[in-house]
Amino acid sequence: MLRDFLFRLWGLFRRKRAETELDEELRSHLEYEAEKHVKSGLSPEEARRRARIALGGLEQVKEECREARGVSLIESAARDVSYAVRILRARPVFAVVAVLTLALGIGANTAMFSVMDVMLLRALPVKNPQELVEFVRWAPDGSMMTNLPLAVFQHLRENTTVLSGAFAFMADTRVLRAGVESERSTVQEVSGGFFSTLGVNALLGRTIDPNDERPNAEGQVAVLSYPFWSRRFGRDPSVVGATVRVNGAPCTIIGVMPAGFFGVDRSRLPDMWVPLASDTDEVWALGRLKPGVSIPQARAQLEPLFQRALESLRDGMKRWPAHERDAFMAQRLVVNRATTGTSALRWDYWQYSNTLKILLGMTALVLLIACVNLANLLMARSAARSQEIGIRMAIGAGRRRILRQLLTENLVLALLGGVAGLLVAAAGHRLLVTFLTGNLERVSLEFRLNERLLGFSFALSVLTGLLSGVLPALRASRDGFLPAIHGTLQARGTTRLPFARKLLAVQVALSLMLLVGAGLFVRSLRNLATTDLGLARENLVMMGVDPSLSKSIKDKQEFWIQLTQRLATVPGVRSVSIAGDAVFGIGGWSRTIWIRQPDGSERDAQVSDNLVGPGFFETVQIPLLTGREFGWQDQGKSPPVAVVNRTFARRFFAGENPVGKRFGSAGPGSSSQIEIVGVIGDAKYGDLREQPRPMIYLPLFQHLQERPYQVHVRTAGDPAAVIAAMRREIQAMDQDISIDHVRTIKEVIHSLLQHDRMFAVVASVFGLLALLLTSIGIYGVVAYQVTRRTGEIGIRMALGAQRADVLWMVMRETLLVLAAGAILGLPAAVAAAQVLRSLLFGLAPSDPTAIVWAAATLAGAGALAGFLPARRAASLSPMDALRHE
Amino acid sequence: MADERIDLPQGTLDLLILRTVALGPRHGWAISERIQQISGKVLQVQQGSLYPALHRLERRGWIKARWGASENNRRAKFYELTGSGHKQLEAEADAWRKLTAAVAQVLETT
Repeated sequence: MLRDFLFRLWGLFRRKRAETELDEELRSHLEYEAEKHVKSGLSPEEARRRARIALGGLEQVKEECREARGVSLIESAARDVSYAVRILRARPVFAVVAVLTLALGIGANTAMFSVMDVMLLRALPVKNPQELVEFVRWAPDGSMMTNLPLAVFQHLRENTTVLSGAFAFMADTRVLRAGVESERSTVQEVSGGFFSTLGVNALLGRTIDPNDERPNAEGQVAVLSYPFWSRRFGRDPSVVGATVRVNGAPCTIIGVMPAGFFGVDRSRLPDMWVPLASDTDEVWALGRLKPGVSIPQARAQLEPLFQRALESLRDGMKRWPAHERDAFMAQRLVVNRATTGTSALRWDYWQYSNTLKILLGMTALVLLIACVNLANLLMARSAARSQEIGIRMAIGAGRRRILRQLLTENLVLALLGGVAGLLVAAAGHRLLVTFLTGNLERVSLEFRLNERLLGFSFALSVLTGLLSGVLPALRASRDGFLPAIHGTLQARGTTRLPFARKLLAVQVALSLMLLVGAGLFVRSLRNLATTDLGLARENLVMMGVDPSLSKSIKDKQEFWIQLTQRLATVPGVRSVSIAGDAVFGIGGWSRTIWIRQPDGSERDAQVSDNLVGPGFFETVQIPLLTGREFGWQDQGKSPPVAVVNRTFARRFFAGENPVGKRFGSAGPGSSSQIEIVGVIGDAKYGDLREQPRPMIYLPLFQHLQERPYQVHVRTAGDPAAVIAAMRREIQAMDQDISIDHVRTIKEVIHSLLQHDRMFAVVASVFGLLALLLTSIGIYGVVAYQVTRRTGEIGIRMALGAQRADVLWMVMRETLLVLAAGAILGLPAAVAAAQVLRSLLFGLAPSDPTAIVWAAATLAGAGALAGFLPARRAASLSPMDALRHE
Repeated sequence: MADERIDLPQGTLDLLILRTVALGPRHGWAISERIQQISGKVLQVQQGSLYPALHRLERRGWIKARWGASENNRRAKFYELTGSGHKQLEAEADAWRKLTAAVAQVLETT
């Protein structure tokens, strides 16, 4: 075995010498043979001729000898590659189109793989990341919850012996104020074990430790992330020890983390870490297994602890409806390995939804189309090259040799495409991560070449090269050399095309699938963007206002009244109101209420609630259906009132007018507490896709707390022009009032549609690409066919065929291909679209408009691509055409 | 001209080459001449297939080649049997004898 290999290798190194020796050996054979014939009386010429005949084709013998020596495999591969490069350079347009096509196809898939690699496979940059585990809850309805109640986490942490450490964290935002500038920063609240369990140290100062977690720790502390330290403090080391204000409270910066540290969630890089507040409800929790402890062992110990912890919460749940309490108690603990950390992004797009899988499906389709397209181009080209192939076979190249040569050409193309695809992948990766997260600076999901990625790209390139090359190569080498030599290939060339037509039809079908998907996504996005919100989206501005830092404001209620009135005087402002939860903020808080029934009994119900100020519904323009909205009189100790929406009225009062009816929220027996004074229309509040749900609104001034509220302002014209004036008006009341998150409802909706826009954009780009490739494919095959049939067309025209007949004869081919593609593609598209159902809004996966639109676009582009060469055929002069033969 | 020579059965060319060079170093043309002479011109050795076979046997290590001067002082590539070539020749010759004996027996007893 080794000997054999060394022999081959040796042969490779002394290739030149081996070739000379082979020449010499065969030459001396011929001389001996000729000599023998001369001795028997033949003339020298005749003797040499006989000798050559007896030996056979010299090149063939040599090739067989090379093969027998075994060097030929490696050596001829090298020769094939250099030959392939020469061939490709001789046809630069073909090569560039093919490489670009493959680069896009392979690149899109590599980008997807790269995003999944970083999201699902890249390990955390901490000590022994493979020991980390995350804790999630499994609910009896089959859903997973990524958090634990804080008390449950604490119970696990204190009683376990299988973990060497555990920590909890929560993402939040805070207003940070250093000097005069305040800004909203992202924070991660972390328990004391966060940094020590991960095994990371601060770059400057110290990290948060268990002492900082105690409820009465002296003063707030914060640790800065490196990017935030750079951006906000210019990498000033003296910031450690400085005091800033976080949500108004003094807070000491105790440390700065190193550049590469982002915590445990790559998709949410916080500006700073602060200790977990002891009143947090639910937390994300991770732990580190002790060395040698397996996940099942850990679960075996932690599950009973989890159950006991749930049980200890039972007392606090007396007000919960029984079925909810039972569901809560039936939860199970799930322990997942967390080598890669945990990630909101991963849960959102991989576990909870099919987002990435659908994108993957689309990129795979693109690659498939690119493959078929290349196969088509190759097919047309290899028919054009049949002369060359015929000659090579005639001088002794075997069919396998030709096959290998053609496949080598294809592999060279595919590998070039793969290399170019890496560039596409890097760009695609950035684009995709921007789409998925909205902000590249707040994530640690950068594109990085690693062996997995390179391996994937290489394997995909080879697969692509083989997939697109095998059939054309088989067909090209099938005929042998006789037709090429006899010049009969012209006739055979036409019989070869039906197969190209089949491939084209497949390409049309695949493109149709992508275009239908694009049509569905675009129409769904349009539906979402124009859906009736139940409130007016024009000229509505919202901002968070927090007066808690101000020392001059004594009476909060008075402050909000004044603020409302002063803003209403700003030129360009129509009306002003405030609310606890903004329109398209968090969507209201869920709570249980008890409603008085006509027979005097009570029923409980789940509703969403919100606190709103006087004139709120007028400001956001949710129509008042009956009764009244809140006024200034609904405050302090006035009788508790509420406004409900139409769905509430319909669901709980079945057509009766609910005004004057009562409900309560203080547990069983409280149903006479609050009187309904008005009913408003249904409006979407949290999400564009939401179904109407029962909502209650309570007067803000009856429930006023010390906290920021959301000011809603309806302007007469463009809100941008009024925002600065409103800011000035508020600051004029008190410099210390913090204003935060100023945005129009349009901006909010725009960002809510981010995900849908991604699908629409990606699918449209891919669809257009498919359209372009298919048009090129049709054009290429038809144009080639017209060239082949020029003589035939000339004869037909000479025999009296009209231009229209010729045009129709050529167009017929194109139309047949398009029709076959549609027959193949439409059912496939409709079937594939079913997986998109949950992503579509306001239309079914079989939406006729989208399908007709996609089919018409494709038919139009395809017909045009076929028409161009058809017109050329029809405009041939019969004489020229005949001379072509 | 009727040709009564028969083509070589598959795989026997190697055996004949090994046997021929076992008698002493020979170059390619001499090997083909020798095989035809000895077989009484019954066996038809395609000259074109002789050389690939020689190179194959060389790769396997059963014969080795060296350049030397021929009887009329021309440079030629001489092939000779190696140690493992001897063993291979014995094994193949043995197998061939068994095969032909068995075939002959079948033909006679039918």
